[in-house]
Amino acid sequence: MNEPDDTTLMEQCIKGNRQAFETLLVRYEKPVYNAAYRMLNSRDDARDVTQTVFLNVYEHLDSYDPKYRFFSWIYRIALNESVNVLNKSNRLESLHTEPESQTKGPEQQASSDEMSEGVQIAMMAIKTDYRSVVVLKHFLGCSYAEISEILELPEKTVKSRLYSARQLLKEQLDHDGTN
Amino acid sequence: MAIDEKYRELINADIDGEIQPDEKAELDAFLAESEAGRALQEELRELCATLDVEILLDPPQHLRHVVMNSIPTPKALAESPGFFRSLFAVPAMRYAATFAAAVVVTVAIVDSGQIQQDAFNNVTGLVGTISDTSDLGPGVATTVINKADVAGTVTLRLADPILIIDFDLSTKGPVDIVATYHDKSVWFNGFAQLESTGTSVSADDGQIKVQIEGKRRYAVYLHNSGSRNLSINLEFFANGESVHKAILEYQQD
Repeated sequence: MNEPDDTTLMEQCIKGNRQAFETLLVRYEKPVYNAAYRMLNSRDDARDVTQTVFLNVYEHLDSYDPKYRFFSWIYRIALNESVNVLNKSNRLESLHTEPESQTKGPEQQASSDEMSEGVQIAMMAIKTDYRSVVVLKHFLGCSYAEISEILELPEKTVKSRLYSARQLLKEQLDHDGTN
Repeated sequence: MAIDEKYRELINADIDGEIQPDEKAELDAFLAESEAGRALQEELRELCATLDVEILLDPPQHLRHVVMNSIPTPKALAESPGFFRSLFAVPAMRYAATFAAAVVVTVAIVDSGQIQQDAFNNVTGLVGTISDTSDLGPGVATTVINKADVAGTVTLRLADPILIIDFDLSTKGPVDIVATYHDKSVWFNGFAQLESTGTSVSADDGQIKVQIEGKRRYAVYLHNSGSRNLSINLEFFANGESVHKAILEYQQD
């Protein structure tokens, strides 16, 4: 049997159906957690942000505007909350942020790990506006139109911002010798 | 040679699969003439391939339970959030409150003659680490419960010399769990929970009682000096009736 879509689940949530909320939680906890992790480079902060995002969603169910898709609403909250955490912790744009260990087994500590760490270091070296579009495009798999909806930006701006972000990432990876 | 912005965007759109057929024809014509364009396309393709193979991390397993245990019931949803709910909506405040509650309850229920001073230091550290499952230590034994009144897992974890009974359960109503063990040298070293409501614990010689209602992730810490082999008998009671029994065994390698 097909699972109900997000809109149906949101309608059920608004009526007080906790099971519907849990289904949305199961569906979106991983992308929200990963978006926060890529923005913040901290598993602990990503966990807290994910928790806060879902609590905010639940607290503001009645303010959800169904003309927007649920994922664009929750991803926007996740990115905004991540930026809030960054601002509070004063870790903005650090060029020397080390990525957290991925706690993999020794057999996996090879070149793919170095590449992954390099990508995360490069991500933390670019501005949050650029990081956001990269996260949405490459880690959450959003289209230009979806990114435009989530960030409330014209699609043209999304395209140019994504291009600039990629250029900056490439420069950073080249500089770090990862690419 | 500088590449016109229009073609840079078309190269990006092509890589992202968002190019229109007429744009694609125009781009192909441009690339056939432009070595710099082809080089840029190759660089961007390589970068995007690198980004797209990044693996998504799994969130902590208990995160789902924490969120579900944190949201108000449908009845409460219509009420004003109130000061305390707003306050505890902040994760840091919730962890701080959990820690404070844990220490207070531990002090209140544990026989002071049974616990050494350093045990309380251990409790402090352990309560703070429940938020990350990976810090709980590897599982050495697990039992799965799938009853109408209670479902989930209880896992015995090792963080030598501490054994952790990790309750990850969902119950229909109040469920009492009695954990007994015969080795009197093993003593109750503390507990941790992510939400303090609806859960209580009490400890006696060789016996821990936990009451759980709803979805709960709860850890009980036992100090097992010398890493002795240990059998822990678990019995689950709903409405005063035994509904499930299990044994968790720890055996030193």
